[in-house]
Amino acid sequence: MWYKRTIPLILVFVLGILAFTQNFVPHPLSEKFLKTVTDWSRIINGFALFLGAYSLLHMHVSRIRRQQPGWAYSGFVFIGAMGMIILGLWNDGVGPVRASPDPQGTWFNWGYESIQVSCSSAMFSILAFFMASAAFRTFRARNLGAALLVVAALIVMFGRVTISETVGGWLGRPKVFGDIVKAIMDYPNMAAKRGVLLGIALGAVAQSLRIIFGIERSYLGGGD
Amino acid sequence: MAQAETPASDTRRTIEVIILIALVSAFLVVSLLVHKPFGPGNLTKEMVGTVIAAAVTLIMYSFLYRDNPLFKIAENLYVGVALGYGSIMIWRQSLLPEVFEPLFLAPTRDAFWSALAARGIPIVLGLLLLTRLSRKHSWLSRYSYGPLVGWGAGMAIVLTFHTSILKQLQAAIAPLQEGITNSSFGENLAFGERLGQWLAQVGLPVLGALVLLVGTTAVLFYFFFSVEHKRLGKATANVGIWFLMISFGATFGYTVMGRLSLLIDRVDFLLFEWLKITR
Amino acid sequence: MPTHQDSLKRLTVTRQIVYLLVATSIILPFLIKGISLPFEAEPGAETFYKQLDRLPAGSHVLMSFDYDPPSKAELYPMTVALLRHCFEKDVIPIVMTNWPSGLGLFEKACEEVAAEFADKGDKKVSGTDYVFLGYRPSMTDLILNMGVDIKGAFTTDYYKQPTAAMPALEGVKSLRDLDLAVALAAGNTVELWMAYGSDRFGFPLAAGTTAVGAPKLYPFLDSGQLVGLLGGLRGAADYEKLIERPDIATSGMVALSGAHILLIVLILGANIWYVVGRITGKEGK
Repeated sequence: MWYKRTIPLILVFVLGILAFTQNFVPHPLSEKFLKTVTDWSRIINGFALFLGAYSLLHMHVSRIRRQQPGWAYSGFVFIGAMGMIILGLWNDGVGPVRASPDPQGTWFNWGYESIQVSCSSAMFSILAFFMASAAFRTFRARNLGAALLVVAALIVMFGRVTISETVGGWLGRPKVFGDIVKAIMDYPNMAAKRGVLLGIALGAVAQSLRIIFGIERSYLGGGD
Repeated sequence: MAQAETPASDTRRTIEVIILIALVSAFLVVSLLVHKPFGPGNLTKEMVGTVIAAAVTLIMYSFLYRDNPLFKIAENLYVGVALGYGSIMIWRQSLLPEVFEPLFLAPTRDAFWSALAARGIPIVLGLLLLTRLSRKHSWLSRYSYGPLVGWGAGMAIVLTFHTSILKQLQAAIAPLQEGITNSSFGENLAFGERLGQWLAQVGLPVLGALVLLVGTTAVLFYFFFSVEHKRLGKATANVGIWFLMISFGATFGYTVMGRLSLLIDRVDFLLFEWLKITR
Repeated sequence: MPTHQDSLKRLTVTRQIVYLLVATSIILPFLIKGISLPFEAEPGAETFYKQLDRLPAGSHVLMSFDYDPPSKAELYPMTVALLRHCFEKDVIPIVMTNWPSGLGLFEKACEEVAAEFADKGDKKVSGTDYVFLGYRPSMTDLILNMGVDIKGAFTTDYYKQPTAAMPALEGVKSLRDLDLAVALAAGNTVELWMAYGSDRFGFPLAAGTTAVGAPKLYPFLDSGQLVGLLGGLRGAADYEKLIERPDIATSGMVALSGAHILLIVLILGANIWYVVGRITGKEGK
């Protein structure tokens, strides 16, 4: 159906060309157009975020309803989400519309700090253990490339911590290891990162062109 | 096929349950002794929050032994809490000031019509976005999603090209140009001193810029698979690999610091806020 | 002949020994008092510091704190140090975020640092001496929107105070009017701030990132698109040193050194074992 795919694709093309040209037109109308589109985008994206939150909740509720393996744990997702939503809307009696006089002191913020902050920090800190174990078990200088990687890693690991200045002091130059790390970061690291950055940027530009010209259509979703 | 329960696994499970009960009891005892919740004025929201935070932190670390139901509960609770927090913040920071207040809490009729004129279309487009949840009507969401994607793509072309390509190419070549055109160094100095100045002002900077340029080109060539890498191409790609390996090593060194910092933060919390050890 | 079960068991034991060693290397330095490893701030941190330090009183600095609790360990100390520096210099920080899950952290940082200065008799008032704008969706379009009209993008601040006549935003209509912008990022928001913000509207941008994100920003530092870069906990510690307020980041440096030395020893030891194994003809394990 032409109104289900063709018109949206035409809109993609038109907005894409307008966005492209807007960057080169200094007229006040052009700036007004930029402001209008970005104002609208801010409002539309608020709904998009709600869509994401709803989808996640819906997935867990479905899992509970169908009693799929591990469904009981989804109950805790529901408890956590509903608990925070109720606390947030109640807002210590202030309600969902007005601002609390002491946002840091609310039960809503308490839930955030006690559970969300500590859980997420702890969860990601486990990576330190995994990384140490993986590095010990797999980092081997099997060939020239791997040897370069290991040596660079060891130098940077040593040079970035404060004990390197103490050791450097014993050798008469406290900053020597920091300077070596800086040389590694400013030359081979920067060259490689710049090459990768250029490649990614070219890819991003190519992908954007594909989207504008309707070659890339995966964002439209399935169906007609 | 489920493994048959052996006496050894039964014993191991019993031991694990006993250790778990012992650890939970130890946690509660330590928390009670350190925070003294039954003392006058001690049972505060902050105190309970600290104990709960310590509990979920330690439960998370139980994963290092193995995956277990307590970890799964804490993990799912965290997902739920994060979801709830995010939803409320989207309401407070986006939908409330942009949609609800201008339309439903407008102080005057004129303010309402003015808000409707300014926000009517994006609100309708935002509501159309929600049709993505319906299998039958999800095509309607393309009318709001499509233009946003097109706008984003159009902007990205120009701004990415400028920031990540043009400016970077300029930075790669400019030091060479500056070094080559820089000829103002001491004319009345002895040869040795002039050589030293030349090295400092021209020689070393140009060498550094050349290393950067060679490295950048070699790395770019390594990722160019439309041409077969043989002879000179293979040598260039190999140089690219060396630069990449050094870069990955440096990145790993930084990553180690990053991950360990996360652990240091949690240990700091457990020692100085939960156990209240003095610094 | 070792069986698969034996290999798995040995792997598990090795893994858990490494976990114990890592935990010990971090806990011990906190428990042993009196260890200190003096250090000087790195040149990169000094460059960043000078960008803020040179600003006269009343300057406006946009601070975009784009991170969430998992990155709190590295970026929260930077946040606090930067806010302290701003308040010391009577520079007005305009705080915002593109990550809603970090809002509670940033509110806490603003209020705690403001309270510190109030205790010293230099009260900092929200809306006058600093402003916490909060969050709005759609990062790239928000930056473009702010490039035209900041008060239009944020009609109210986080505490629902109208921004139209806010003293802290006097003289600041758009991003072009900023004296400096700082982006603290856990993801790729620094690149977006550069492309959609500083390169387009022409204001100086400095960045603080997690250690993971720092290496990829060096090309932007070299090209001048970033005027300063702080990386990871060491970057935060350097900044604390420069503002002469050692805090959490500085106290973590000894533990960080210990853990790094442990890892260096483990990796070096494993590689020496591997090389010896290859020389003697056995596969290094």
